[in-house]
Amino acid sequence: MSDSEASRTAAEGSEAPEDQDASPAGTPDGSSPTAPDNSTDVAPTRKARRRPEAKPAAPVEDTPKVEEQPAKTLAESTVSQGGWGYWGSWGKSILSTATATVTTVGQGLTQVIEKAETSLGIPSPTELSAQVEEEEKEQDSPAGGDGSDEAVKADVDGPSAVGSAMGMLSSLTSVVQNTGKTVITGGLDALEFIGKKTMDVIAEGDPGFKKTKGLMNRNATLSQVLREAKEREELQTAETESTDSEKKVVAHYGMLFDEFQGLSHLEALEILSRESESKVKSVLSTLSGDELVRLREELDGIKDSFSLVEFDDEEVDEKKDEDGSEFEKELTEAMEGLSVSPDKLSKACKSACSQITGMTKPEPSDEEEDETKEVSVEEVHAAAIRSLAELTARSIELFHKLAEMILFSNGSTEASVLSQLTVILCKELSLLSKKFTSCLTTAGSNEKRDVLNPLITGVFLEASNSASYIQDAFQLLMPILEISHIQRRAESSEQ
Amino acid sequence: MAYAYLFKYIIIGDTGVGKSCLLLQFTDKRFQPVHDLTIGVEFGARMITIDGKQIKLQIWDTAGQESFRSITRSYYRGAAGALLVYDITRRDTFNHLTTWLEDARQHSNSNMVIMLIGNKSDLESRREVKKEEGEAFAREHGLIFMETSAKTASNVEEAFINTAKEIYEKIQEGVFDINNEANGIKIGPQHPTTNSTLPSSQGGHQAGGGCC
Repeated sequence: MSDSEASRTAAEGSEAPEDQDASPAGTPDGSSPTAPDNSTDVAPTRKARRRPEAKPAAPVEDTPKVEEQPAKTLAESTVSQGGWGYWGSWGKSILSTATATVTTVGQGLTQVIEKAETSLGIPSPTELSAQVEEEEKEQDSPAGGDGSDEAVKADVDGPSAVGSAMGMLSSLTSVVQNTGKTVITGGLDALEFIGKKTMDVIAEGDPGFKKTKGLMNRNATLSQVLREAKEREELQTAETESTDSEKKVVAHYGMLFDEFQGLSHLEALEILSRESESKVKSVLSTLSGDELVRLREELDGIKDSFSLVEFDDEEVDEKKDEDGSEFEKELTEAMEGLSVSPDKLSKACKSACSQITGMTKPEPSDEEEDETKEVSVEEVHAAAIRSLAELTARSIELFHKLAEMILFSNGSTEASVLSQLTVILCKELSLLSKKFTSCLTTAGSNEKRDVLNPLITGVFLEASNSASYIQDAFQLLMPILEISHIQRRAESSEQ
Repeated sequence: MAYAYLFKYIIIGDTGVGKSCLLLQFTDKRFQPVHDLTIGVEFGARMITIDGKQIKLQIWDTAGQESFRSITRSYYRGAAGALLVYDITRRDTFNHLTTWLEDARQHSNSNMVIMLIGNKSDLESRREVKKEEGEAFAREHGLIFMETSAKTASNVEEAFINTAKEIYEKIQEGVFDINNEANGIKIGPQHPTTNSTLPSSQGGHQAGGGCC
């Protein structure tokens, strides 16, 4: 809690002069701003301040000042926010964790946040401060109450005006840290509540988000999470099928991912990864002294190349690589020397690209589309989700095959080759999702926003989830490279 | 495509005995005379119906090559059923059965149902292993036995489905702890409306999203 203490000191520091003014007076008055006089004892806030009176202190004085002197408030809140900088970003980081897989969502994210924000249903700033005051009453130390009250008021006013979800969170976190330990639990509850609520709201718009939520809630393996998500989708489909007579075009990422055997490959990859990990551990346990140190260093080198990879979302031009041949070229280059063929993956990408071309061109390029029927947004969405699921499944398959070949051939495979591959795959997913969403926008130009936006968000969300799955699968390769390294080492020392 | 149970199968046996072809025949109902060598493991899935219940078979088709053995062994664990395949036209594939069996028993759970399959029954003229030999081996080791042909599809359905029936019976008898996923059995998503109310038109065996 050193941060909280530090910031409190900062807050108190800023108010030091007032504290000194108020304390000697010893009057819990000041409810009337114009006359900080002892005799004026009419303030409505007075009631709330009864308790602190036991140890006469400043809070009373501060409150009206905040209300009356906007300039001062501003200054104070700036100061205090400086102190809470860490907390502010903490709140922010919670939100970004909550939406970790939404990072590439772009316009979709804004919409989600807006939606989350309006339906959060958290107490209003005034309610919050009232609550804080109440809790404050129960506190014995008025000094603590003093800083917090001011802080709460100041901060609550500020960010709520900004009206962003981030601001709301940061105001809440400052409530948490400033009202002392008793409130911290309550504050955390509120945060948790907000977190859950936000996720529910996001999830409402897209069932795929539940996967992410599940990922964060449990320590389950990736394939388990995906399987559960798929089962939920199957259940939903079964329910809607029984009720809906007309068949709607609904795309379920998880089910499709399984259909392309993505789950099975992931499960197999997890098995290999786990086994390699335990083998590495047992080898390490047999070594000692210099040998152990040396091997550890070598393994750390491998670990580093896995942890230092940056999957930054560099801007991709959606006009580029119209037929997927560029991706194929890049992929083939990256896979050179690896005895696994990326054919299935390139094929999947090409088929996605040709679908996009087919949907963007107004004239029917496919023979099957005899009528000049316009593609519905649902159809575009379904094609997008299907392509993403297929591409991801094929990527996982590729990683699984790579893992098998590394273990099988025991040749040296550089981690950098694998990370480069991961970057290429993630970039392609991002590119495809952009192409599909611009398709959606075109197809849905006559649709209402509330029809189109969830679909667009859904595509971005699944693209982002896909990238996470691929990155997780990439991480699963680490123990495999480690054990392969150990085996090669043993072989060379035998010779 | 909701299912009551999911069974994990493995297909094992010497290289070239027709493991991948059996799977392809079962999932896609087609035969490919020339098949690429399987690397590590490939997958197939299909839905079948037993006792009015939808059961999804998730099949792990392993590589037969000796050099892959250390990898494929890792996949044995958590299988509810195994198809141990030999080629009736190649005596050596039959001779290796003991090794395969030991391997399977050692790396999987003890309740795993094993179906011994003598494949390529269509090549009667080139037969090297008599049917009786296969039956005797199966009896001796407590396996179910069948001769199949991935080419003509003879007994292919039966081989997969009879294995599932055996597993299903074991579940009914309480031999399998279905809540332990290490047994290779998963319970499907729970339905508010039970599977028994599914239309009887689905009584036949339906091809699932088989894919390889």
